[in-house]
Amino acid sequence: MKIELKVNGVDRRLEVEPEERLLDILRERLHLTGTKEGCGEGECGACTVIMDGKTVNSCMVLAGQADGHAVTTIEGLGKRGSLHPVQKAFLEEGAVQCGFCTPGMVLSAKALLDRNPHPGKEEIAVAMSGNLCRCTGYDRILKAVERAAGEVEQ
Amino acid sequence: MNDVIGGTVGGRVLREDAWGKVLGQAAFPADVRREGQIYAVAVRSPHAHARIRGLRLDEARKAEGVVAVLTSADVPHNGHGVLYRDQPVLVADHVRMAGDPVVLVGAETPAQARAAAGRVEVDYEVLPGLFDPEEAMKEEAPALHPEIHGGSNIVYHLPVYKGDTAKGWAEAEVTVERDYQTQMLDHAFLQPEAVLAYVDERGHLVVEVATQYAHYDRGEIAHALGLKFNQVRVRTRSVGGAFGGREDISLQIMAALMAWHTQRPVKMENTREESFYSHSKRHPMRMHYKTGATRAGKLTVMEARIVGDAGAYASWSPNILRKAAIHATGPYEIPHVRVDAYAVLTNNPYTGAMRGFGAAQPVLAYESQMDLLARELGLSPWEVRLRNIYRAGSETATGQVLSGSVGMEECLKAVKSYLGEVSGR
Repeated sequence: MKIELKVNGVDRRLEVEPEERLLDILRERLHLTGTKEGCGEGECGACTVIMDGKTVNSCMVLAGQADGHAVTTIEGLGKRGSLHPVQKAFLEEGAVQCGFCTPGMVLSAKALLDRNPHPGKEEIAVAMSGNLCRCTGYDRILKAVERAAGEVEQ
Repeated sequence: MNDVIGGTVGGRVLREDAWGKVLGQAAFPADVRREGQIYAVAVRSPHAHARIRGLRLDEARKAEGVVAVLTSADVPHNGHGVLYRDQPVLVADHVRMAGDPVVLVGAETPAQARAAAGRVEVDYEVLPGLFDPEEAMKEEAPALHPEIHGGSNIVYHLPVYKGDTAKGWAEAEVTVERDYQTQMLDHAFLQPEAVLAYVDERGHLVVEVATQYAHYDRGEIAHALGLKFNQVRVRTRSVGGAFGGREDISLQIMAALMAWHTQRPVKMENTREESFYSHSKRHPMRMHYKTGATRAGKLTVMEARIVGDAGAYASWSPNILRKAAIHATGPYEIPHVRVDAYAVLTNNPYTGAMRGFGAAQPVLAYESQMDLLARELGLSPWEVRLRNIYRAGSETATGQVLSGSVGMEECLKAVKSYLGEVSGR
């Protein structure tokens, strides 16, 4: 089946199999490997991407369901020299260890700050609750999101 | 952005690898690819203990896209392991745990590899399993590894004896005796195992993997495939968490075998479920503790028997039960000690390294004993600890005299105000 979607601002037309997931086309066809597969059942959040402003687990979205939508992956955020405030905050707070959860974490935080630039601790915790990290204990990650919120405010 | 915030000493240094990770550029092994790569899938035993009577591979070999179907007969030296080479690359006849790999299927696409793997037929004679380490260590229990570990399933026993326990019991006015048990745990690192293996332009086998132990991996791959060390190169990619769970071989030799056999790049990627099957776990430990103290709250004697479930393969079990034994008293000075720690093979998932490496489990036992003693003595749990902790000059159960800095007393005093209402309960 043919689908059309916007990925990181670029229009893409793809011929996909009905059973392919959004995660598969991002990784295998578009080679956007910053989106990770940790569990394949919507539990860990490593495959989080932003679809039309909302975070989704891309392992739980069929490619066909992404037809006509706009998707942002980690590759669509900052670059070296022009980091997104969330990326900068993760770096400066030491919120990164093994890094496998990091792209999903950064995108969940970005989606939160896009809809609410002044979140409280509780809102941050809820917004990040779909992303599992096995290394950090979350403390630095939550601090990084608070720090990013401060910078977005400025 | 500066890489160092503050001075050189005491400053905050930005992680070099964090840049690539916040940008999504860090390459974990599932993220790397080679032109013309095929995909391999392991067919794993659903049974914890079985004999393999036969394999039917014709249907799998005929399946669409299949490049090769490999078995133990294709492995020149079919064993690997950090201490003992007791774990087969592919099982020849004796399945010792659920998840043991039996057949390896390589095909052009991941879907074709999985479909063909589903057409492999393995004829198992299911055997009764040994799931209880106390049963498995009995003399009459069938030995799980007679060739490598001999007639007993006890792969390790460390006695740590100090002083004269009879004297210690004579001095004891209060005794606490209990059984404790910890459970099996999985590291559940977030990145499931993945490997890319290929033969490079020099004819060398290159294995790209997330591993804790690249030089060991190289040795085991070379040994299993009958190659020289300098024919094998292991390249460590970004490691998506490990916590001890990537110290043993998981997919490395299988991917290398398929690449060497087919001379094509081979990708293997575990699903989360396969990941649970293919790496070690934390040792469950059964701990029988008997501790004696004077009415004044001084420990006089401790006896402990610690049995660790090694599961189907030894992995690091001897080292882990060694740690359990030497840490069995906790940070408390006890003049008379008798500890026996055992690692016992069973048909459970194999156990190995995990944060703490055997020192974590006895904490449950020795700290619970301290709390129970405090209750018996009518002292606060804090007080009974203060009276027995290691100080400079203390001698551990292994005879080590702690001559340097020992911060326990300072630490206990510093945390006291945070403990809230501490009573004898």
